[in-house]
Order: sequence, then C-alpha cells, then structure tokens
Amino acid sequence: MLEIKDLRATVGGKEILKGLNLTINSGEVHAVMGPNGAGKSTLSYVLSGRAGYEVTGGTVTYKGKNLLDMTPDVRACEGVFLAFQYPVEIPGVASATFLKTAFNAQRKFRGEEELDALQFLKLVREKTTELGIKDDMLKRAVNVGFSGGEKKRNEVLQMALFEPDLMLLDETDSGLDIDALKVAADGVNRLRSPERSALIITHYQRLLDYVVPDFVHVLADGKIVKSGDKSLALELEEKGYAEISAA
Amino acid sequence: MKNRTPLAQNYLDRFETAVSTLPGHESRSVQALRRQGIDTFAALDFPHKRIEEWRYTNLSALTKATANEDVPFSDLDAIQTASLDTTYEMVFVNGRFSNEESRLSGLPTGITLGGIAASLGSGAAFSLSSEEDRALIALNTAFMEDGFSLHVDDGVQLDSILKITFRNEGGTADGRHIRNVISLGQGSMITLLEEHTGSGVYFSNPVTNISLSDGAMLNHYKLQNESHNAFHLSLTDCENAKNSVYQNFTFSLGGKISRNEIKTSILGENSESHLNGAYLMRGKQHCDTTTLTEHKVSKNISSQVYKGVLDDDAHGVFQGKIHIFPDAQQVAGDQLSKALLLSDSAGVDCKPELEIHADDVKCSHGATSGELDEDALFYLQSRGISESSARKLLIEAFLADVLESISDTPVKEYFNSIAANWLSEA
Repeated sequence: MLEIKDLRATVGGKEILKGLNLTINSGEVHAVMGPNGAGKSTLSYVLSGRAGYEVTGGTVTYKGKNLLDMTPDVRACEGVFLAFQYPVEIPGVASATFLKTAFNAQRKFRGEEELDALQFLKLVREKTTELGIKDDMLKRAVNVGFSGGEKKRNEVLQMALFEPDLMLLDETDSGLDIDALKVAADGVNRLRSPERSALIITHYQRLLDYVVPDFVHVLADGKIVKSGDKSLALELEEKGYAEISAA
Repeated sequence: MKNRTPLAQNYLDRFETAVSTLPGHESRSVQALRRQGIDTFAALDFPHKRIEEWRYTNLSALTKATANEDVPFSDLDAIQTASLDTTYEMVFVNGRFSNEESRLSGLPTGITLGGIAASLGSGAAFSLSSEEDRALIALNTAFMEDGFSLHVDDGVQLDSILKITFRNEGGTADGRHIRNVISLGQGSMITLLEEHTGSGVYFSNPVTNISLSDGAMLNHYKLQNESHNAFHLSLTDCENAKNSVYQNFTFSLGGKISRNEIKTSILGENSESHLNGAYLMRGKQHCDTTTLTEHKVSKNISSQVYKGVLDDDAHGVFQGKIHIFPDAQQVAGDQLSKALLLSDSAGVDCKPELEIHADDVKCSHGATSGELDEDALFYLQSRGISESSARKLLIEAFLADVLESISDTPVKEYFNSIAANWLSEA
C-alpha cells in the first residue's frame, strides 16, 4: 500500500525528516510514536502534500505510484485521507456544501456518478447515525465555532464518507475526552478491512487502547529508530521516549 | 493661466456648440445652469491626485485623451450576464432614452417616470444638486444630455423591480453625462436596479440626486458592468427626511477606471442609510468606492459594508467617512471594508474616517485586506477538491455575507450568478 524509502524533507530550510523508512501493507494499522519535534506532523503533511514541506530525498510509493508527484487533491481522490490535528475553520463555507463538493470531486475522479443533494444528505445521515454524531454541524460553517471534540468528530465523519484506502491520523487523540476518543477510534475500526491501511501518528498510546495497531514505530530526530508490535507502545508509555530512543 | 488637461480644454472648446444644441437649449434657465456648470468646471478642471478625496485614483489616462482620441485598450471583455427580467425597464442607449427598447406601459398611477431630456426641453424647472463645486457634477451640469426622472407620489408602493439600463457603445473618450433625479413622496416605496453595460471606450459620468420624504423607502441596486475600456465616474447624493430608509447595493465588475461616490445626508430622525457593495476586479482595473454619510440630526443609523476581490494588477480604493454633526445624538454608524487580494500585484487603499461632534453615539469602522487562507485552501484540497475549485469556494465564502444582505431575492440571485460567472473566468 505505502512504501516510504529514505525520505528526507525540510521545512523552512531546516531538515526535519532525515532518511525515514516505513512500509505499510494492505490491511495493516501502523502507529508512529515520538516525542515533540521528532517530525510526526511533518510526516503527515509530506504524505498529504502540503505546500512548504519540501522533499529533498527519498521516495514514497502509494499503490505502485509516486505519491510525491500528486497534488493534494489527487492524493485524496486516490484514497489518502489525513485526519488533521487541528482541523481548519472555514467561515462562509457551509459544512454540507463542503462535504458534498469534496465527496463528488472524489466520485468524479473515479469516474463514478455524482450524488445530488438529496442522495448525499441521506448518505450523511446514515453515517452520522452510525457514528453517533449530531448532524446539526452540517448547517454550520466548516469547523467554525466547533469545540475541539466536534472538530475531531467532523474529521471522523469525513473519513466515514470518503472511505479512504489509507487513513493518516495526526494526533487525533490530542485534546479529546474519552467519549470523543471512542467515537474517533470507532470511526477507524469500522473502516478496518484487508484492503485498507492506517497510519496513526501520536504522542501518547491512549488512542491505541481503542485502535489496536499491528505495528508500532518510534520516530526520533526524523527517523524510525525502533519498530515492534503493540507492546512497544506500552513500553514507551512506561519508560519514556528518551530511554527507548537511546537504546 | 494654468495648464488645462487636454480633455478639459476639449470640453471648454465644445461648450458653446453644446449649449445651443443639447436638450433645453431653448430655455434660458437651462442655459444659465449649463454656463454656471462650465464656469465652475473651467476653474476646477478634472479631479487630480493632489485633491485629498482623489489621492488614490488617477484620472490622467482619461484626461490626457481628447474626446476624439482612443485611450489605451484592454483586451478583457465585460462579464457576460444573463439579464434579469423585470416587468418594467427603462433603457438608455449611448446616454439617450430609447422609447423603443423600454417597457414602461402599465406603471401604476402615482409613479411618474420620464427622460430628463424631455424635462429640460420643456423648460420644466427642476432643482439640481446644490454642490456644484464638485468638478464632475459641474461638468455633468454643463453637458447633461438625458437621464431619468422618477417621482413616486405619497403612499405609492411599487411591488416589482424597476430596472434602468444604460447601454454604451463606445469608440472614443466622449462623455455620457447622465443626470438622474429621484424623489419619493411620504411613505412611498420603490426598488430600483440600475444597470450600466457597454463595449469599447467611453466616459460615463452619471450624477443621481435622490430625495426621500418622510417614511419613504428606496432599495437602490446598481450593477456597474461597463466595458473594461470605459471610465465610469458616478456620483449619487441622497437626502433622507425622517423615518426614511435608503439602501444602496453597488456591484462593480466593469470599467477600466471606475469610481462610485455616494453621499447621504440624514436630515430627519429615525432614518436609516445602508450602503453596501461588492467589487470584483482583474487585469489592470481600478475601482474606487467613496462614501460620505452625514448624520445631521439625532436618532438614526447608518452602515457601510464593502467587499472587494482583486486579481492580477487590479487596484481597489475604499474611502468611507461617517460625519456626525453637533447635537446629532443617539446615532449608530458602522463601517466595514474588506478586500481579498488574489495576486501579489493586486492592491487596495483604504481610508476609513470618523468625524464625530456629538457625544452620545456608537460608531465603528474596520478595514482589512488579505490573501486567501492557505490553511483553508490546503484543508479543502486534502479532501479531494481541486485548487481552482477550492479557491472559488473560498472567494464565494468571502463574498457570501455581503451578497446575502441583499433583501430582494431576484436581485440577490442575479448578482450571485454574475459573481459565479466572474469566478469561472478566473
């Protein structure tokens, strides 16, 4: 599904990723954990194609294609979804309009028929009911005035709608109470399948209690320094990053 | 004698012929009025950048040309619009009323609508703006050819929209000096849509005088969709008696250099003046919005909200002044100007001004300019929306609240569809 080889990236001229290697196969859930400043968010932005994150070396192959050649919207249409750590507020754009525009853009890209407003609304209602999310947010502008928890729920709702092949979760657990955390975890777990993969980028292992990863990696100073199974996350929680990274 | 601009000299040279041929030439009082206008204009010439109110708008591209000479050409076409069908429409072609193209039959009793040329010709007395010291008004007075005169009797209300179309087919920098006079009787109400369109090079200089009697309400929309090679310099003066409401929404897309200047004087209590607008400019277009709101008595409110989108090398100007006279207490005035710059070479000058001589008032003003939010753009793209669609969504969002403030739904839909056309040509 995703093969990252010797990835190097700079932000504002400063090298943040310094030769990162990571392979995620179909159906696998990987967690990348690391201390602040290790390059976790940079990794998620490089994979989703944000401007200002310059790749200076290495390759990223997604479903056999060069991911780095694709614009952010094409990556999304190809099935890459980034759940933002800080979802962006967009005044003046109604959530329903935004979701429908994005949904249909992806459908169109895949050569599928676009849904009309009524069909789309029906689909959204199904998803919100499934996930236990209130649908009054649809009437409001995208993320405007949403609480931290509501913003993350909105990310989960989008993930449920778009049904991506590769889910990237950037610190999705930060600032969430236990109920919101469960909604987020439930959103990921519902989508787990042999055809889909996930990369959970996180500082704490909290979310990993609910979304159990197949592999856990430690990211430090721009590289994966250690890999293991889910027990590595617990070890990190217990001993801290300094000890594990140094080992 | 100081050096005149070539265009001013050209007008002076042509005046004697004009005064004996233009509408009303038989009438001594009209002739006297025109002479008064040309004398004032001769002393002032066209406004220039050393005048404070014209600091940001340079007319030299216009004033260096003579009336028979082409001015530099832009290859941008005016935005195509589907027309808004209204029951009543008055049409002016190249500054003259066209009876053939107008649809005015069946206007309710109590609404008197006609061409100014006819009024001038019949020597009918009508009062003109008292402030003839403004050069463009003076020039207009000297050369006014036609325009509309609208009077609504006390208590009469028109339920449908009255559309006034000014279509210009240019070729030279010769002027279209339109003079419009609107007077609304007590408790009357009317909705007006002024539409200015055209092709080629021309200079449009409409002057509109509005007086609202006690309890009158005027919803005044203006679509400025002139040729991209045209100069559009308009002045609108409105006087509000007590309990009256003036709502103006100006949507500007056209013109090489355009200026929309509105002055409202609130002369009676419990009145409202709301001046809103949007401007969408690209290429080398220049659009100036200048408003002056005078609160001369107590207990009334005013607001101004203007939003501009500027692409390429386009330039916007917003000058808004709220003037509260001594003893005009319990007055609320709010002003907001926002510009969205889509390119590094687009720019805007803003000059909000409050002049307050009373103490029990509530006033605010704000002016911002900025680019599209990069974070928002990336967020939309990361969901599969192409960059161009994402930009359109964000520009529409920027304009949404000011367009939403339009109270007449057909006009709101009409302007929204024009904005969409503009965006699709981005």
